[in-house]
Amino acid sequence: MTDPRTIRIVIVDDHHMFRTGVRAELTAASAASGSLSLEIVGEAGAVESAVQVITEQRPDVVLLDVHLPGGDGHGGADVIRACAGVQSTADVPVRFLALSVSDAAEDVIAVIRAGARGYVTKTISADELLTAISRVADGDAVFSPRLAGFVLDAFGAAAGEVAEIDEELDRLSAREREVMRLIARGYQYKEVAKELFISVKTVETHVSSVLRKLQLSSRHELTAWAMGRRLL
Amino acid sequence: MVALTLPVGEDGTVQTAYENGQGPVRPAWRATQRPPLVRHRQGKVVAGVAAGLADHLGVPVSAVRIALVLTSIPFGAGLAVYVFLWATMREIGDVVPVAPAPVADPAGAATSPGSSAGGGHGHHHIDLASLRTWLRSGNQAVLITLLGVAALALAGALWLGSAGFDVHAEVILPVVAIVIGAIFFWSQLDDTDAIGARRPVRWIWLVVGLGLTILGLVGLLVRGTDLTALWQVGGAVLAALVGVAVLSAPWILRLWSNLRLEQAARIRATERADIAAHLHDSVLQTLALIQRQSSDAATVARLARAQERQLRSYLYDEDARAGTLGAALTAAMGEVEDLHGVPVQLVVTGDRQIDEHLDALVKAVREAAWNAVRHGSPPVSAYVEVGPDAVEAFVRDHGAGFDLDDVPDDRAGVRESIIGRMERHGGTARIRHRADGTEIELRLPVRQPADPEPADPKAAPAKSPDAATAQTPTQNQTQNQTQNQTQNQTQTQTQEQAS
Repeated sequence: MTDPRTIRIVIVDDHHMFRTGVRAELTAASAASGSLSLEIVGEAGAVESAVQVITEQRPDVVLLDVHLPGGDGHGGADVIRACAGVQSTADVPVRFLALSVSDAAEDVIAVIRAGARGYVTKTISADELLTAISRVADGDAVFSPRLAGFVLDAFGAAAGEVAEIDEELDRLSAREREVMRLIARGYQYKEVAKELFISVKTVETHVSSVLRKLQLSSRHELTAWAMGRRLL
Repeated sequence: MVALTLPVGEDGTVQTAYENGQGPVRPAWRATQRPPLVRHRQGKVVAGVAAGLADHLGVPVSAVRIALVLTSIPFGAGLAVYVFLWATMREIGDVVPVAPAPVADPAGAATSPGSSAGGGHGHHHIDLASLRTWLRSGNQAVLITLLGVAALALAGALWLGSAGFDVHAEVILPVVAIVIGAIFFWSQLDDTDAIGARRPVRWIWLVVGLGLTILGLVGLLVRGTDLTALWQVGGAVLAALVGVAVLSAPWILRLWSNLRLEQAARIRATERADIAAHLHDSVLQTLALIQRQSSDAATVARLARAQERQLRSYLYDEDARAGTLGAALTAAMGEVEDLHGVPVQLVVTGDRQIDEHLDALVKAVREAAWNAVRHGSPPVSAYVEVGPDAVEAFVRDHGAGFDLDDVPDDRAGVRESIIGRMERHGGTARIRHRADGTEIELRLPVRQPADPEPADPKAAPAKSPDAATAQTPTQNQTQNQTQNQTQNQTQTQTQEQAS
């Protein structure tokens, strides 16, 4: 975020009205911010067209709706799977940020486990969305309060289960739990950092580590849940 | 196929029933309308015909049964009437004659065997557990019918013999075998409605029925000749049956698939009608309101938000959580949103059944959120964590924070509604003023472990409980340390300072 750079974006959503709205909002917000410029290089409204646009344009970040027509019926998760291995023009993997009106845990976790770097609701403000996009472009993770709440729930952290070693995939470490709790309470990353006396970078590291656990964990709640919906 | 022809007869029957009750010249003694002539699943012994008939005629069911049995003995007239009524009367699941609901009802399937066993009038179970479960699984009716047919055949043979007719056992036995086989076959027909969801067809019964029928036919045909012809006759009967099956199979299959399609379409139509009704009552009304008040941005936002919340709870079936802390919090936050039009982001982890203490917590959270939307600025977020030994709630806004000196009214409100309420229920409340907003922290200790039902997967002992308990104290320690440090760093007001 220090150097003014251009992030290339593809917006995937089956509602044309919503795509237009996001495009207008993002353009205005990036013009106002100054430190960050966005270039919207493509739009798509279904799984197949999204895969085509993404492989052609090789964007940095894809804003991805959870529910999409086409594909195998898994919406956004299908797009992420079909685009596995596609690299952006900067030769790093294309990053996906899920953007949805749905708060239902199963929708959110489906795209996260498919490989999305983050999830935000469509009611997010333009500035926050901008921050989220730049964060995802840097390879960090973006958690909404609700996703953080789900993570605490699914990993049993709310019930007091904490990992003894950080590498354990099926539980959160004490620090990760603290970070998730603060995010669930509505704290921004920099507020979390201030609260815990750590740097924003460290917060990002913790969140990325939680994201990795969320994607890879075989914890029984997650697996049982995912199996029930034939995600694995 | 019979299922297809059934409605015709059934409509006719029902129609006459209504004509009796609803005719323009209704006799004075029949002021109330008769219940429709249908078979009930409750209180049935064989197929529910007698019970349904008694219900329709308004006479005791035992009288109908006795009459049927008595008229059956001489010429089998009662039996013929019974079979005719069984074929033409519609079977319904409940006593309450609701509008025909085509949706498959698994609850009905679950209750029907139990109720038929429980309501067996005058029927005594043999006290053997396995036999009883076998009977409960719905075989009772068939068994009784078989006994009845056997008794009837015996009675008929004796009567014919005493009347001087020549009784050939080799005729009677095959006929009885055919009848019993047919009953086996038809018993499956009765309990599987066209959706096929009430009870799975027991194929063994069909096989047994078919076998008995073939045996009966062979016996009937072989009667006069010697045993060497048995194989020939058996082969001929089998060939005839196979031929009939092959010829009629496409017809049956097509009728069956047509029926399935029709029913699926009807279910879909009902569902669509449900959804359409819901959308009309909620979304369309709200959209109309929004159009009328489009100049008032705050109202539009509030309406949209309220509608979104309602639609969400409809889609994700949040009624299922009724009576839990999560549901109460959702409702409370929704109320705050409705009153003030500011969205409140609510996150709840874990859940448990609500009690009076948790109710107090919900009220305190509501008051805190109410303060936040009035005096703070959005985004307002509420986070409630149901832990093993305490429920913690955090409500935070991003405003400049309310200065207690400027709003004396709220001081009492905060002191009484939040701090006082929490303390009365053994909890604590803290108000923290941060650089960019206010956060109210509520903590309510809970004694018993979290309700096992929502926390089921977590309550499973698999996940090394010793590690969790060993970690918890240190965890709390570090948390307290962090909080203490934070208290020194940011300008934190504890409850004493606030009041």
